[in-house]
Amino acid sequence: MKSARNIMKIFFSLRTSVWLMTALMLILFYGAYIMPLKKEFLMLHTTPLFEWLLEQPLAITWWIWGALLVVSLLAVNTLLCSIESLIKRRSSQKMLLLIAPQIIHAGFLFLLLAHVLSSCGSFKGTTFAFHGTVLQLPNGLDVVFDEIHIDTDQSGFVSGWHANIRYFRRGRYVTRDIIRPNDPSFQDGLGMYIKAVRTRPFPAALVEVSREPGAVWALVGGVCFLGGMIILLVMNIRRDAESLQFD
Amino acid sequence: MNFVEAYWKMQDSIISLSNNEHAALAIIISAVIFYSLGYYRVVFVYAAFLLQAIYLFSRGMQLGRLPLIGPHDTLFFLSASTVLFAVPLSMKLKKRKQLLYPVLLLSVVFMLLSLAYKPHNVPLTPLLKTFWFEAHIVLSFFSYALFSIAAVLGVMFLISKGEQIEILQCKIILIGYCLFSAGMIFGGIWAYFAWGTYWLWTPKELWTLILWLFYSLYLHARLRKWWAGKASVTVGIIGFFIMMFTYLGVSLFMESSHAF
Repeated sequence: MKSARNIMKIFFSLRTSVWLMTALMLILFYGAYIMPLKKEFLMLHTTPLFEWLLEQPLAITWWIWGALLVVSLLAVNTLLCSIESLIKRRSSQKMLLLIAPQIIHAGFLFLLLAHVLSSCGSFKGTTFAFHGTVLQLPNGLDVVFDEIHIDTDQSGFVSGWHANIRYFRRGRYVTRDIIRPNDPSFQDGLGMYIKAVRTRPFPAALVEVSREPGAVWALVGGVCFLGGMIILLVMNIRRDAESLQFD
Repeated sequence: MNFVEAYWKMQDSIISLSNNEHAALAIIISAVIFYSLGYYRVVFVYAAFLLQAIYLFSRGMQLGRLPLIGPHDTLFFLSASTVLFAVPLSMKLKKRKQLLYPVLLLSVVFMLLSLAYKPHNVPLTPLLKTFWFEAHIVLSFFSYALFSIAAVLGVMFLISKGEQIEILQCKIILIGYCLFSAGMIFGGIWAYFAWGTYWLWTPKELWTLILWLFYSLYLHARLRKWWAGKASVTVGIIGFFIMMFTYLGVSLFMESSHAF
């Protein structure tokens, strides 16, 4: 009972957060050094992270497993500290100052959730497409490339592109769309991107089809994180202004 | 000559200014000299910053975009941003010049380093022509400037102590951390719309994460009184070196798809 209480005490501690962040930093420092040296990491972005981790030898992936463990502990620590903070100071007058860090923590946890979802269920496939190419997508849709148009400037640099596409399901027309730079086409959970284009001998595009199940949660996490930070900054500025008034 | 004609003539002059390498070099050297004269009169600091702003504006007009690609433009932007934030922040201290002088030195070093690299005058690839990318870059470099100033304040504290200096360092790091986090999020949004993923496991992203974790660690540890003082300012100084490696070191010494 006493040991369980001591373990819980560790997870409710700010000192634990500091040590976990330090450990994570050191692991990532090693990872940033080792990644360019091992050719296996070139394939890291072609498959979901967990799938890639299970395929690769532990000798080169141990640091990622270590980082995942530390992040898991950090997530538990963050959640427990936030809950404790809200319970202990729920009668506080300065509710915004109490809630802002918890919103930031919630944002952090949503970002972790996003990465977990993407690491399990993401998909990526690339192929070349030309005028008239038909691609079969994993979600049961077929996409037809009606036209690939590439703009070039006077010196021959590619200044823009767009591809007119139509979606079909079992031969029946669904909808049409246009893919532009930074403006992909999304349909039934899949995104279609043009990664590169070629003008000669005829217009062609390197197309990538991808699914990122964590994208929405990453956005939610980012919004929460920034929202909490802005509240915290505003509260700090207001507190400084008030202390100046009383000087 | 009416107002419209005068405006177009001025625009042509500014564009031809940045097209002329000698004129550009003269502006940069003049800014360095004026920052050096800033040790005697603060008015020279304002004049030097104005020259930097003119150069950045002329580069922007020449390129038709924000001049933030490649080491030359980014180092120059970092130099200008550092002074932009340091001037008002120095007014919060009793001895204003204590902060301003070392920051001017840092700004001059960044500017001189920028001269070692050729300006990136190649047209931007269409995937970089988006608000999210430009906001990502601007926010990142604003945060780098604030982390640089925080390091200077850390050195100031180690030399002359002063609780006010240490508290100011903490506040600057908090603002820098907010901007850096926003930069990371905007970068993720851009990457998702451009590349199909909001995160890539490359050395640049890993070092960005290390830098973010480092300042997260600082801000959490700083919540405890036992951490305030020499320990926290030293961490603030170390952060500057991690920031510089994340910005320059990774791009120069490591292979990464996310160079600059």
